[in-house]
Amino acid sequence: MSFYTINSLTFSYAGTDKLFQNISFDIEANQHIGLVGPNGCGKTTLVKLMLGILKPQGGEIYLEGNNIKDISLSDVGKKVGYVFQNPDKQLFCPTVLEQMRFSFAYGSCNPGEAEHDNTDYYLKAFDLMQYKSLSPMKLSRGEKQRLALASVLSRDVKFLILDEPSTGLDILRKKQLENCLMALKQEGKGYMMISHETKFLDRYVDRILKLHAEGVEYA
Amino acid sequence: MKIDPRTRIILVFLISSAAVVIKELISLLFLLLLTLILCRMFSVHLSGSIRKLRKLLYFFIVLALIQSIFTPGGETLIAAGGLRILTVSGLEIGISIIIRISVIIFSALLIASAPAMDVVYGLIAMKLPYEIAFMVLLSIKFLPLFREEFADSIIAVQLAGADLARIPLKQKLSLYSYVLTPSVVKALNRAEYISLSMECRGFRAFPCRTSYCRLRMGKADYLTILAVFTLIVIITI
Repeated sequence: MSFYTINSLTFSYAGTDKLFQNISFDIEANQHIGLVGPNGCGKTTLVKLMLGILKPQGGEIYLEGNNIKDISLSDVGKKVGYVFQNPDKQLFCPTVLEQMRFSFAYGSCNPGEAEHDNTDYYLKAFDLMQYKSLSPMKLSRGEKQRLALASVLSRDVKFLILDEPSTGLDILRKKQLENCLMALKQEGKGYMMISHETKFLDRYVDRILKLHAEGVEYA
Repeated sequence: MKIDPRTRIILVFLISSAAVVIKELISLLFLLLLTLILCRMFSVHLSGSIRKLRKLLYFFIVLALIQSIFTPGGETLIAAGGLRILTVSGLEIGISIIIRISVIIFSALLIASAPAMDVVYGLIAMKLPYEIAFMVLLSIKFLPLFREEFADSIIAVQLAGADLARIPLKQKLSLYSYVLTPSVVKALNRAEYISLSMECRGFRAFPCRTSYCRLRMGKADYLTILAVFTLIVIITI
């Protein structure tokens, strides 16, 4: 049984042509997939469907054998970590530290020593330690992106979906992201990454999934 | 039905004023009927609006019940011991309040269903300073922005593993307070960006502002206003 099974998926937004029709593919929990395609082809929409935020018009999506429509968003969130394309939509806590600890306080993660280790580790890894008592709203675009990444990476999820994670990062911070991706690979955790940077994808994914109007194909 | 935006604004003013002035239950019912007919004529999607209003049903019922309980008079319908809990007058007042709020909400849809820029042009044509007319446009846009920001934050909260259906009430309340403040801040920031981009494109650079859009009220507009005004007078009397 694959971690994700997408079966004959069809979707369109109200009043528009079909964004994609009858697309099918599988993703294993330890796979590293890059999702590419031109602007507006539906990459983020596909991810939102895979998370259960949007409902498909046709076809099914199975997460560990369970139809996504029968799983609550929070249960999906416990298995899959998602870094939003726009970090503003992901950050909602009053301080950076509370944002990092949110899943431990309200989610499924067990609080305790691991929480502090993970929180401190990723705050240091993404150079955010000095901002921990600041509001995420006061951070720059790149800092928000780093916080969004750090808050997801610190959680113990089986699979990660990263929507253009390198956007807004400088060379140094991109290197930090690359280190985290390498660490995830070593831990045996899988991820799917949307990006327009093919060189970056080539280094950190095993397979590239091309999305276009006619469907998907592995490049 | 193609109608001048000023006509919509005048109709909403007439209907909502009448909803406040009219006290009789039957007259309010006729006013609600008139409002619904106007909504139909102006192609307002009533079914969608009613579906959204259903979410406020409990609020309406509680409001009506409070009014009913604290308004004495008429025959007693429900009593506990010597205490009159619900009377005929109280019930009438409660129902009147529900109808009055419905009339005001449905009449507001006459404006809400028009393109936002048309409403701005209408307000400017009614001699409102254009700065204030655009402020009205921004405030109209603010609510959907806030709703969108709040919905996004709730999705982010759930994807972070918080199960809103299962967590205890106390935690749930603190969680909503977490989400509410940044949602308001984000919506205000977006509204500020809109106003900044408007200023970058020369908004308020000159005291006088001309427009390609010239509004003209036709016969249909005057007839509609006159007909609605007459009907409201008849209903009120």
